[in-house]
Amino acid sequence: MSLLKDFTKGLWKENPVLVLVLGTCPTLAVTSSATNGLGMGLATTFVLVCSNVVISIIAGIVPKKIRIPVYIVVIATFVTIIDLLMKAYSPPELYNALGIFISLIVVNCIVLGRAEAFASKNNPVRSFLDGLGMGLGFTLTLTMTGIIREFLSTGSMFEVKVITGWTVDFLLPSSAPGAFIIVGVLLAGMNYLNLRRAVKQGKVYVPPQGMDCRHCHICDFGDKTDGRN
Amino acid sequence: MKLKETENTVVLGVFLAVIGLVAALALAYISQLTAAPIAAAEQNATNQALQKVLPPFDNQPSANTITVKDPDGRDVTFYGALRDGKLVGFAGKGSNPQGYAGAIEGLVGLEADGSVRTVLITRQSETPGLGTVVCDRKEVKTIFTLFKPSDKKDGAVPANRILDQFAGRKAMESPWRVSKDGGEFEFQTGATVTSRAVTALVWSIARAFEQNRAAVEAALGGNK
Repeated sequence: MSLLKDFTKGLWKENPVLVLVLGTCPTLAVTSSATNGLGMGLATTFVLVCSNVVISIIAGIVPKKIRIPVYIVVIATFVTIIDLLMKAYSPPELYNALGIFISLIVVNCIVLGRAEAFASKNNPVRSFLDGLGMGLGFTLTLTMTGIIREFLSTGSMFEVKVITGWTVDFLLPSSAPGAFIIVGVLLAGMNYLNLRRAVKQGKVYVPPQGMDCRHCHICDFGDKTDGRN
Repeated sequence: MKLKETENTVVLGVFLAVIGLVAALALAYISQLTAAPIAAAEQNATNQALQKVLPPFDNQPSANTITVKDPDGRDVTFYGALRDGKLVGFAGKGSNPQGYAGAIEGLVGLEADGSVRTVLITRQSETPGLGTVVCDRKEVKTIFTLFKPSDKKDGAVPANRILDQFAGRKAMESPWRVSKDGGEFEFQTGATVTSRAVTALVWSIARAFEQNRAAVEAALGGNK
């Protein structure tokens, strides 16, 4: 049961982008189309799973003082491996579109965050499931953002025109400011759903750190959270 | 003293070095493993692009190359296409650093007489929706045509308003300009910088051919 939870928590309850708010750089930068989002998500999942397993195996012997550099070396190794593999086997358009962001998985906070917060304290099986769940949660969010952005800007999904009359691109959703707005709307939606569920179950809803309603008085959601505003 | 709690600098250094060594070995192995597929993928991409811009050929243009300088001193690599031992066309590969977001790389197919045949942009990072309109040759798939077989003939490339207007022209002395700068070529509204860069790129490749014609033809096996 707890093994299943290790896997599923990444998909919703501790979704890396929408709840932990980690890894926003790739989320904003490469999700201009659904294909790019999916490719980036899967590459990150590979790195997360592999680094989580290796780190949970070696965590017992790594000296505390140099654990972060050691983790980074492990992560960087897997990032280089996925970079080489994608260069060799993925469609060239995808590799060109993701470009530098593949290498930048090294500095993605999700990967190091999971290594430090989970893999170094749990056994390889649980770490594997945690990495897989977090990775897939990340992939789902990126793909969803990509689908929304691609659809709003060109009327297509996965590069297939869904609305055939849509010939002129709408630029805002495909640019970085549009990405901010869309991810913001997704975050707000996630907060709203979690809040409603918490209210229904009679619990106190604690929003993600720094994302509560203390500083904002536009709507009355904040009054339902825990009365902090 | 346990390894985990140690603060001995030498031990820490050695430990990190060992981890680095293991990582380096693993990477060396993977790198060796993927070297051949990566080379094959790159070769494949070049061949596909060459097939699009060149007239039908029966040699290996990717192995029949010469590099010359364009009027601005940048390298242009020419690929020669032969058919029955005769030169039927060239493809020039060059780049222009004046794109809106970094360099634009292109492949320009030339007829045997030096007039432009097909222009293909092979690498760019222009603004999606503006600059990419100038650079992309993409067949638009819709949900209605998704499962239908394509009725395009082999070798035909999807149209592009900007890239197609260079076809059939020869590069004379004066550089080509977009109409905004007093030239004769159309540009994409909202992507003037990209249009300028692409126009300059095509001209410099075609011009490089004109200037080095004798050398290029001799090296790529014409008149043999």
